[in-house]
Amino acid sequence: MTPITRLMQGAALAVLMTGAAAAQDFPERAVTLVIPFAAGGSTDVVGRIVAEKMSAQLGQQVVVQNVGGAGGSLGAGQVARAEPDGYTILMGTVATHALNPLILTQKPYDPVADFAPVSLLVLVPNVLAVNPELGVDTVQELIDLAKSEPLAYASSGNGTPLHLSGELFKSMAGIDLTHIPYQGSGPALTDVLGNQVPIIFDNLPSASSHIAAGSLKALGVTTTERAASFPDVPTIAETLPGYETYTWNALFAPAGTPPEVVAALNEAATAAMADPDVQARMTEFSATIVASTPEDLAAHVQAEMEKWAPVVTDAQVRMD
Amino acid sequence: MDLLSNLAMGFSVASTPANLVFCLIGVLLGTLIGVLPGIGATATIAMLLPITFQLEPVSSLIMLAGIYYGAQYGGSTTAILINMPGESSSAVTAIDGYQMARRGRAGIALATAALGSFFAGTVATFLVAIFAPPLTVIALKFGAAEYFSLMVLGLIMAVALAHGSVIKALAMMVLGLLLGMVGTDIYTGAPRFTLGITAYADGLNFVALAVGLFGIAEILRNLEVEQTREVMTRNIQRLMPNRQEFREMAGPVLRGTGIGSVLGILPGGGAILASFASYTMEKKLSKHPEEFGHGAIAGVAGPESANNAGAQTSFIPLLTLGIPANPVMALMIGAMIIQGIVPGPNVVSEQPMLFWGIIASMWIGNLMLVVLNLPLIGLWVKLLTVPYYVLFPIIMAMCAIGVYSVDNNTFDLYAVAFFGLLGYVMSKLRCEPAPLLLGFVLGPLLEENLRRAMILSRGDPTTFLTRPISAGLLLAALAVLVLVFLPQIRSRRDEVFTEADG
Repeated sequence: MTPITRLMQGAALAVLMTGAAAAQDFPERAVTLVIPFAAGGSTDVVGRIVAEKMSAQLGQQVVVQNVGGAGGSLGAGQVARAEPDGYTILMGTVATHALNPLILTQKPYDPVADFAPVSLLVLVPNVLAVNPELGVDTVQELIDLAKSEPLAYASSGNGTPLHLSGELFKSMAGIDLTHIPYQGSGPALTDVLGNQVPIIFDNLPSASSHIAAGSLKALGVTTTERAASFPDVPTIAETLPGYETYTWNALFAPAGTPPEVVAALNEAATAAMADPDVQARMTEFSATIVASTPEDLAAHVQAEMEKWAPVVTDAQVRMD
Repeated sequence: MDLLSNLAMGFSVASTPANLVFCLIGVLLGTLIGVLPGIGATATIAMLLPITFQLEPVSSLIMLAGIYYGAQYGGSTTAILINMPGESSSAVTAIDGYQMARRGRAGIALATAALGSFFAGTVATFLVAIFAPPLTVIALKFGAAEYFSLMVLGLIMAVALAHGSVIKALAMMVLGLLLGMVGTDIYTGAPRFTLGITAYADGLNFVALAVGLFGIAEILRNLEVEQTREVMTRNIQRLMPNRQEFREMAGPVLRGTGIGSVLGILPGGGAILASFASYTMEKKLSKHPEEFGHGAIAGVAGPESANNAGAQTSFIPLLTLGIPANPVMALMIGAMIIQGIVPGPNVVSEQPMLFWGIIASMWIGNLMLVVLNLPLIGLWVKLLTVPYYVLFPIIMAMCAIGVYSVDNNTFDLYAVAFFGLLGYVMSKLRCEPAPLLLGFVLGPLLEENLRRAMILSRGDPTTFLTRPISAGLLLAALAVLVLVFLPQIRSRRDEVFTEADG
């Protein structure tokens, strides 16, 4: 063994030991919560609400940092490579921890090996909605119409959970719909409201005001149970049994983060989600609170990857 | 009358002491960040978003809106003084505004920009108040085909922006279009021209490009010739426009306000076009088109008014549909959701205090801005006397911070350096950066909407002509093309004749 490698081993050991010591009184300084999407989106909103309450729990500021780009891969990759000390954590989503790893041919990170799961925070339903002028009232009527004439649907982008919700719908209903990708929910909604495209798959929170106002007609939510905020809207599964998709948000730390630190973060996140204020906001947002253990989140990521793999393959969605 | 009682309610909300203070903080912050090169409203609002948790919803939105249109005012200050546009809209102001500054008319250019913006802001605010709901209907009539035709019109206008060779302007525009292609193809997910760098997967950062091409290039050029700066500072005469200049700016301001108000309503790219469109129009209408590019006051008054009017009317789709017209509006939506307000068609009826309060605050904010900015003009102009060995490093540092703060992405800084050098080379070759910038901004929108329209029409290209709005826009594009080339042909003929005479 050369002196240099011995020195490096010593240094590594020292780092490990200080890491262990630091875990005792975590956190000593501000924690950075990386949100892998631009500010203002639904993940950003969930992240900021949670960050605010977690700051109070941890006694240290949780600073939100938006690292948008490449469908969430840039921010997730940054956390994957960050120091595993719990001071840099990620607001992961179904996109960063299930879809992107399946879709991207060059994988910037491994969703399982590179991360220490902290907590699955919320599940957010998606919704299948149409412009009222299309003249269909139920999922079945839409399927029948799609069999007789060509239709198109809008989504927030290629390879997004909403695009794949649409692709899953197509394959389960045995119909063909032309996919029109947009750059985000906003422009997609605009074109559906203006009846440029008749159908949309969107996050329920983003479409909810238009559904309430009647400018969009919700045919079905994508979860297996109806959304509490829209009890009159049926589930797609009532017509197509077994259909289930949703968007989710979960906290991840880099792999190798000491278990005590993960536990401290989990405790703070769980407490934040139990806050009545947060609960009220999430209900308004049509999100279901989970606040799981790290183990449950690990199992969830596995299950999601298994669920989406065949959909991604069938729809031939791929990105280099 | 409903409108009056609504406006009265709005003013009663907006003029509470607390809301007045937040409005002032907003426009002050906006002006400041607008003046600092590179730091834009998007980054500032993103940073301030957590603070708005603690505020009343109305107060927080009044403050955020103030930052947004305050930055529009401030942005033109740097564009005029140091040729450094922070937003795409002030890129046009830089063309003639900076030339005015170089001729010792910096104060007049700044005053023109401030007064034009105030007028446009006032008018546009009333338009928002009166027409918000019906205008929304028009915005929804714009589908992919219409946007494509609008972008074609915009690109053709870009040619008219050039005050030198049309061929060079076209070349720069095409270069801009190519640069705009960098990033992920949204229809297939294939990366294009990213050099394998994931950080460029979403394309090049606009701020990085603009700061490099305009600002850094200008600094490099100034280091070469120190005399020009001396001229700038020695020749500062008046700060306020005289009667003659007021007369010259009246028409451009009125027309700019009209164009800006209309284009601002369109979500997705409409507002970007406003200042470019106004510039083209003024150049065409002017009795002295040769002055454009050499410090024409109309070239500042028109685009600045258009830009500010567009900034105000771009709140229409946000407030009536919950649809963001630009990244700043997307942040405002986030702020509203955090406050428990779901932006959408129901905001007007369910939250009338909020809706009318924000509208009233826009007018108050615009008034504050003009009161704030006119006395500051003297101060800004003094900045020009700061020796360049002090000023330039500060500008470079601010640029670097500003660009980095947009996305926390180091590759954006490499882009600034690269485009700074490119801008310098371009200035040596007498190629102008404005058409490049417009190509860069409009190119991706052009492509996206072209392909979307073609998918929707199932590959039938006549969709652009059979849809009336689209056909009208293409016709207008044709008309602009004719207007651009006719005088050229005529002047060339004149040249031939003069030479023959001589």
